[in-house]
Amino acid sequence: MAEINFSWSNDDHQFDIAAAREKGHKFSNEILIKNIRWFIIFRWAVVAGLVLLQIFFLTASEPLAWLEVKENQTWPLAVSIILSGANFLYIYALDFCQPSRYNSPSANLWAQIIVDLICLSIVVHYVGSTVTPAPFFYILHIALACIFFSTIESLVVLIIVITMYTILLISESGMFIYGYQAVMVDGDAVPNESLTKGRVLLWMVSLNSLFLIVWYVVSRLSIVVRAHERHLKEAMEQVEQAQFNRDQYGMLVTHQLKAPLDAIRSKINLINGGYCGQVSSDIKDVLARIDKRGAGMSRLILDMLKLERLKASTHTRETMEQVSVAAMIAKCIDKLEPVTNARNIKLDHAIQDFGVTGMPDQIEIILENIISNAVTYSFDNATVEITSAVNPLDTTGIVMIADHGIGIEEKDLPNIFNEYFYSSRAVVHNKSSSGIGLSLVKIAAKNNNINIRIASAPNAGTTFTIVFHDVQPFGEKAE
Amino acid sequence: MAQRIAHIDDDPDIRDTVRRILVANGYEVDSYHTSVDFINSLNNPESVPDLAILDVMVESMDAGLKTYLELHERFPEMQAVFMTSLGDMILPYFADKSQEWVCIIEKPVEPTVLLSMIRDRLSRNPQKTA
Repeated sequence: MAEINFSWSNDDHQFDIAAAREKGHKFSNEILIKNIRWFIIFRWAVVAGLVLLQIFFLTASEPLAWLEVKENQTWPLAVSIILSGANFLYIYALDFCQPSRYNSPSANLWAQIIVDLICLSIVVHYVGSTVTPAPFFYILHIALACIFFSTIESLVVLIIVITMYTILLISESGMFIYGYQAVMVDGDAVPNESLTKGRVLLWMVSLNSLFLIVWYVVSRLSIVVRAHERHLKEAMEQVEQAQFNRDQYGMLVTHQLKAPLDAIRSKINLINGGYCGQVSSDIKDVLARIDKRGAGMSRLILDMLKLERLKASTHTRETMEQVSVAAMIAKCIDKLEPVTNARNIKLDHAIQDFGVTGMPDQIEIILENIISNAVTYSFDNATVEITSAVNPLDTTGIVMIADHGIGIEEKDLPNIFNEYFYSSRAVVHNKSSSGIGLSLVKIAAKNNNINIRIASAPNAGTTFTIVFHDVQPFGEKAE
Repeated sequence: MAQRIAHIDDDPDIRDTVRRILVANGYEVDSYHTSVDFINSLNNPESVPDLAILDVMVESMDAGLKTYLELHERFPEMQAVFMTSLGDMILPYFADKSQEWVCIIEKPVEPTVLLSMIRDRLSRNPQKTA
């Protein structure tokens, strides 16, 4: 008996439309809120760092002396208290107040930036505006503003930063506050700490220029990135529209091809229903043959539309749901009942129900096509066995569909999932095969991370084993 | 009094088939070639049917869907079923609509299925049940 195992990996680089659609020129409130929460968490980390710094100041006199840093400083505690209070206010405004014009995510973000800048200015003032790297932390705020705000808004942040730092330097230079000395760095270590006008000017020009350059570079990069995002969004919209148009075209063609067949078959049903008087059995037999060929053609036309839709669905993320395999199998058996009754084919089933996460329509396509094939390619009065079971060791679930029909030759096995593939033996047995059914199965299996094993021998039958991954067991076997 | 059914389809063979089946089973049938004809007929209160059988693609790709929405707005009590060659392939176009209101019969017309569906739908409107 020949065997073959089909596996379709989903690791290829499929485009994530849903994620791409979220990106736009302006950030949505949803994204702003996510950023606000991230900033709040980041600020808690800063508060924790400040508290540790405060403990260090109070307990480590020797290292402080070695670092030439003054002892008994309390500014880290003060700033951490201010930042904690502000954080609580941001959370309160975000989660416990009604959104309004003055309580929008954007306003929240602005409040955070301004309060942070004031706190940073206080820190810079206390630790030394020209003798420590503290002023460089302004760059962080400029960069964040460039990323999260528009260019104009980030320019406003830059102006606030430059203004704050300039006022700080001017005030520390003795023009407004007499006798300033940095409190963090030991005065002995920096003998001429008293700020001269030249030194103030040097720091003011150099650091403000640095702020301006950083703003220009980051905002420029931000503009480029946002332009790319906008183009991406437009491209995705065009792809989506093209897919919609393609689907509509497919529907139109399907309709135009199928409508005449439906009119013919409706008339046949009218005659068979006795609405046109009595007809002879010979005529009924001829009508049945016409109807059978028409039904085959109709199925082919609808399968072509299904195939196109399934191909399109590989580029989109349809809703994944948990599906009961037992319910799906029962639905498929129900649909096939007229055929199985007509040919006296018995469907034996021993089902252990389990849940699989996937696209319900596509899982139905897989089961319906494989069970339908098992029935189609069985001999009359035969039996088709359907069993399902869960393997608790690797959380896989299998559905086995075994027939005792015409089977598949070994040379044909690798091709059975190809579009419009017909094996000569299959055509002899079933003239109305569309050659599409297993192509639909292949795409649906790929979309839902399902593997399929096939074992077959000519004139002995075929067993399809559908392997589902990460299943959830529901209950015991039902027969 | 016979229950009134409106049938809209641009295919004369389908219109004829449905009319024969329904008339033979005691219904009064108004057949329309286009959705516009049907919608215009609704201006006359006496022409308002108990149930409408709509085709999806009549004048345009989505004429049947538009008619369906207009009926839902103007006559929320009126039952409506779709009869289309596309069967449930049109379901994606009803993503936001109640499944309770959407009933699809796939062509070809099968007398017993058609009658069963129509009886079921009409029974949901007790005031108009004969």
